[in-house]
Amino acid sequence: MNDNLLIEITHITKRYEMGDNVVMALQDVSLGIREGEYLSIMGPSGSGKSTFMNILGCLDTPSTGEYKFRGVDVSKLDDDDLSAMRNKEIGFVFQNFNLLPKLNAVQNVELPLAYAGVPAAERHERAVRALERVKLAERMHHKPSELSGGQRQRVAIARALVTNPGILLADEPTGALDSKTGVEIMRLFDELHQEGNTIILITHEQEIANYAIRNVYIKDGSIHYDRLNTNRTIVK
Amino acid sequence: MEYSENIKVAWQGLTDHKFRSFLTMLGIIFGVASVIAMLSIGEGAKREAIAKYQDLGVNNIIVREKDMSDEELEEVRTKFSPGLSLRDAEVIREIVPGVTRIAAQAEINAEVKYANRSVKSSVIGVTPEFYDILNYKIKEGEFVNDIHYGARQKVCVLGAGIAYTLFQKEEPIGKMIKIEDQWLEVVGVLESKALFTETVGELAARDLNTDVYVPLSMFLDRFSRGNVLESEIQQLTIQVENSERLMETSALVNEIVRRHHFNNEDYGIVIPLELLKQEEKERQIYNFLLGAIAAISLIVGGIGIMNIMLATVMERTREIGIRRAIGARKSDIMGQFVTEAVVISIAGGLIGVVLGVSLSLLVSVFTDVSTYIRLYSVIIAFAFSVVVGVVFGYLPAKNAANLKPVDSIRYE
Repeated sequence: MNDNLLIEITHITKRYEMGDNVVMALQDVSLGIREGEYLSIMGPSGSGKSTFMNILGCLDTPSTGEYKFRGVDVSKLDDDDLSAMRNKEIGFVFQNFNLLPKLNAVQNVELPLAYAGVPAAERHERAVRALERVKLAERMHHKPSELSGGQRQRVAIARALVTNPGILLADEPTGALDSKTGVEIMRLFDELHQEGNTIILITHEQEIANYAIRNVYIKDGSIHYDRLNTNRTIVK
Repeated sequence: MEYSENIKVAWQGLTDHKFRSFLTMLGIIFGVASVIAMLSIGEGAKREAIAKYQDLGVNNIIVREKDMSDEELEEVRTKFSPGLSLRDAEVIREIVPGVTRIAAQAEINAEVKYANRSVKSSVIGVTPEFYDILNYKIKEGEFVNDIHYGARQKVCVLGAGIAYTLFQKEEPIGKMIKIEDQWLEVVGVLESKALFTETVGELAARDLNTDVYVPLSMFLDRFSRGNVLESEIQQLTIQVENSERLMETSALVNEIVRRHHFNNEDYGIVIPLELLKQEEKERQIYNFLLGAIAAISLIVGGIGIMNIMLATVMERTREIGIRRAIGARKSDIMGQFVTEAVVISIAGGLIGVVLGVSLSLLVSVFTDVSTYIRLYSVIIAFAFSVVVGVVFGYLPAKNAANLKPVDSIRYE
């Protein structure tokens, strides 16, 4: 395989044992992702796409196969190293934002840096910059409950960006937003891609997948197709 | 993650649910408060005991005549016992090594009169040594001295209580008071002395402040006894050089006195230091019991904390998932929740310290139980509350740390 791949997944499987039943959530999945790619992973619910996202996001490890991130075999890392991996390389964006309700915007954005051991002053400065990037600096002292859905998602994106991760991993990022706000968020992803960020969108909607340059479709635990998007939605 | 962050988060959690946090702390609060209050009561009792025995003199051996009815008195006299006498004192001084001083005293109960006031009192004839042996302090004038004693002068020294009863605001020194048919000049007044509230061996409890002290020589000349068979003196207080040899010395004293009394057991020997040691031993059992009660209440408090922390971890599964997703290690989560438990127990411990200290002050103000708070008891109680926080916060924190990030992030 190619050496300059950011992510290199080869023949991974994930099996769950539920009593006597063995469920194969992923079967023999291989995928390579280059730095700077904008890719969607689509599939119906129960297709194994969430399992795949968990593995990509280092929240879970595959049962068999290899997952290399910048050449490091993630499947062999222990819990602390996985935590460090998530901290440095993965920027999560969730459907329901997953901000901590008691912290204000800038404190939420600072949190990954706190776990990385960045000193308070630098942390604050970088968090403010990340919020500026998503055009929310003026709201940085607001709690999530005082922000709109779109603004909350921007805070979440700022939190994902603040550590300069290898990938932005967005799980149904517009799922909880109205369509107009959703488009704004997709425009932001487009900009972030143009700035060189690697973006992976996880979605079950074709419409959202269409914003990406490369489309991967998962069905029944394996990759159904993996192709360039010829029909790309360009945000104006 | 810096540790100060954990404390901030923990404090936030605590103040977000003030009432719940308070209820959680209750066990610790009462545990710590009861430890401090009970230890202070124990310490108060200890100090009271020490003060009492110090009054009796920790280097002293007290030989006191038994309280006897006229029949008993007659019986021992027919068995040739001469009763306690100055002769006993002389023999002891001659034979027993290591004796520094011996004070003899004889007593009668009599009406003491001044002007139109009169009061019942113990009139005690003493030798001048008495003052040095028994920790008495003179407030004004002087105590019975060698000159008074040698010249058999008709003088007296008043206890603080009786001086006030007879003279109120008048100056007592130089005044004449009347005891039975004798007029005595007041030459001194003593400082107020702690009540002697418990009977110790042959020493009956009484108020030392109502005593009147007169020279024994004069006392024996001038005051008549109710019963002619009564002994010359009622008590010998023997001071020894070395308190470590109290037991041997008292055995020897006992031997001598018994022989002189022809084997009549008409006297008793009290060794204050031995009694003090005995009480100390009894108090150890009491202390052990206190410790057990305190330990139980702190454990119950700890279980209260554990209970709430387990619930908190459940409630905050999502938060834990989020923190894990953005890079918190297990140890970070662990630290966060242990810190919360410790912050709760420290806060509870501090409130408990305040409550315990106030309780023991209230007890000493509103009851006649004396209390004394020692710093070490506060420190121990507080340290225990911190330990309880760590121990009982550990399991819930471990649960929190072991939540799978995949599951907890989607927990609703």
